[in-house]
Amino acid sequence: MGIYRYTIRRLLQAIPVMLGVITITFFLANAIPGDPVQILLGPSPSQSEIAAIRARYGLNQPLWQRYINYVLGVLQGDLGRSIFYGERVTAKIAERMGPTLLLMSSSYAFAILTAIPLGVISAKRRNKPTDHASRLVSLVGVSTPSFWIGLMFILVFSFHLQVLPSTNLVMPWANPTEIRSAATRLDVLVMSARHLVMPMVSLGTLQMAALTRIERSSMLEVLSEEYVQLARAYGVTESTILRKHAFRNAQLPIITILGLQLTSLIGGAVLIETVFQINGMGKLIVNSIFRQDYPLIMGTTIVFGVVFVVGVIVTDLSYAYIDPRVTYDEVD
Amino acid sequence: MTDPILEVRDLQTHFFTADGVVRAVDGVSFEVYEEEIVGIVGESGAGKSVAAASIMRLVEDPGEVVGGEVSFKGEPIVEFEETEAGTRRPTDAMLSNREMRERIRGREIAIIFQDPMESLNPVFTVGGQLREFIEINRDVGESEAREIAVEMLREVGIPEPRERLDDYPHQFSGGMRQRVLIAMALSCEPSLIIADEPTTALDVTVEGQILEQVADLQEKYGTSFIWVTHDLGVVAEICDRVNVMYLGQMAEQAAVDALFHDTRHPYTDALLDSLPRPDRTVEELRPIAGVMPEAINPPSGCRFHTRCPDAREVCRQVNPDARDVSESDERPHRAACLKHEDVFHEDYWSSPPIDNETDSGFAVGRTDAGGSGDE
Repeated sequence: MGIYRYTIRRLLQAIPVMLGVITITFFLANAIPGDPVQILLGPSPSQSEIAAIRARYGLNQPLWQRYINYVLGVLQGDLGRSIFYGERVTAKIAERMGPTLLLMSSSYAFAILTAIPLGVISAKRRNKPTDHASRLVSLVGVSTPSFWIGLMFILVFSFHLQVLPSTNLVMPWANPTEIRSAATRLDVLVMSARHLVMPMVSLGTLQMAALTRIERSSMLEVLSEEYVQLARAYGVTESTILRKHAFRNAQLPIITILGLQLTSLIGGAVLIETVFQINGMGKLIVNSIFRQDYPLIMGTTIVFGVVFVVGVIVTDLSYAYIDPRVTYDEVD
Repeated sequence: MTDPILEVRDLQTHFFTADGVVRAVDGVSFEVYEEEIVGIVGESGAGKSVAAASIMRLVEDPGEVVGGEVSFKGEPIVEFEETEAGTRRPTDAMLSNREMRERIRGREIAIIFQDPMESLNPVFTVGGQLREFIEINRDVGESEAREIAVEMLREVGIPEPRERLDDYPHQFSGGMRQRVLIAMALSCEPSLIIADEPTTALDVTVEGQILEQVADLQEKYGTSFIWVTHDLGVVAEICDRVNVMYLGQMAEQAAVDALFHDTRHPYTDALLDSLPRPDRTVEELRPIAGVMPEAINPPSGCRFHTRCPDAREVCRQVNPDARDVSESDERPHRAACLKHEDVFHEDYWSSPPIDNETDSGFAVGRTDAGGSGDE
């Protein structure tokens, strides 16, 4: 089948991309002034201690040697050990991946579920008050930084109203017995939802705003197509036209944007995790940069790189699902 | 002769743009009788397509039908009345949007658009689209609609119609797609089909085949057609009667033979001179001088006077409506030209001529394209 071959080809093409990511990140990280060992050992360590740690992490080797070793390690699935934590990078990432994926996917869900109806209504009632309102919302959404929204949420809902918790995200899959004040699975889910709502909206607002605008213009474009006019000429009701004849065609640009917005979502996660004290990948990457924890910087970057590359491939594949004109049989 | 099934009286459709009011259709009258093919001919921007869309009440913003009457089988599709304040408003009897949708569109009047590439929805199968419209307009179930679709695709000459139902539009050629659209129109069994330049986008051989097929099917089903085109060749081939439009108004209305052989309007004459004809040998074809003025600011008097070889001073002042100028009582032959002094009673022949003679079609009145409202 064409689609499998296409997927495999795209994955193979991702290899040089990832190699580029590794190379650039490696040399950038090592260009940061300072020394991770000193950060780890504090103000006045002994010379022997320093030498031991440098030897343990291979920091005594020349840069090119370390680069080659690192790339060879990655090819074997070995991302090394964190200098700061002393643990395997893969283990550390596995531990932190859950909250970030939860945050990112819930933000996407929030953005899609609000943006698509808003955009459609906006297009349908073009230049009417509903349209103006929805355009204002998206304009404000696009131009407001996510961390500021997060801080305002905390100020209003956690500090003043005290209705939503601002820290200690509870994961929905957490064991009820390990969490105080939660007896059943349902309690855990409710707690998790209450924790998640503010970070989710903070992170998702930008996506929501951007998607609303795309959805609106895309719907407007499709609604002016001749096949929509034809459906109208054959007595199809306006709501069926909107729901059936126009909707599906209008979603292609949305999918493109969803794929590309992954980058801003990842960037936003770094900020939002810091604001809401979520122990996810975002905080991990920031702290690893502060501590010059080379293996951890590299590892987290590679994982984000893979997430993005896979996201883009999934985007491309989903075109074929929506638009029958797109086939992957003979791509060159 | 029986009553016409469609009567259009003084139809006015204007577009309210930032630059001003574009009078795309400005007082057009014509009728369509049962089982006939009526042509609407004119250059791009003459208002043909807008007139066609107005009949279906499908004119899109910022366009609006602002006056006149359209009645279909006695039902008022467009009808206005004067208010006390002197403005016009639709009458209560005029069909509501819902009635238009449920009773007229598709069911009684179907339309075929110009561009077969754009008229079919790319994400649905051809069979699915046909079936949906048949179900809506014929009150049949899914399987019956499918059978009707297959039958009709076969009628319009699509090979292996049953297999092709599940194909998507992009898997059909342009000519085949236009056949699908013709099948779509016919399968709803309307009394009238409006064909808006349906063969313009096709190459000539395909056009010929389709015209022949439409003529056969028209005879078989007894459907009336309004055939919008800029091509007098197509008119000669397929139409019974013709309406020639110029800048939102009717220039000449006659039976096909009368129009070609007993032309009564200088615009029609000019159109015919610009075409090669099998019945005449000429040294060279003569394009019509100048470009059609914009409908946003039409010339005073007769709208064609700026390009008319026969224009006289009086044509600047008087805008003639199309009146019957036929010499026999047989069938009306209407022309909107003051040359027919016995009908219009203006002093045409004693009025001094206007010199419009130019060599090149681009020398006079060249303006940038657009704004003509014939989209």
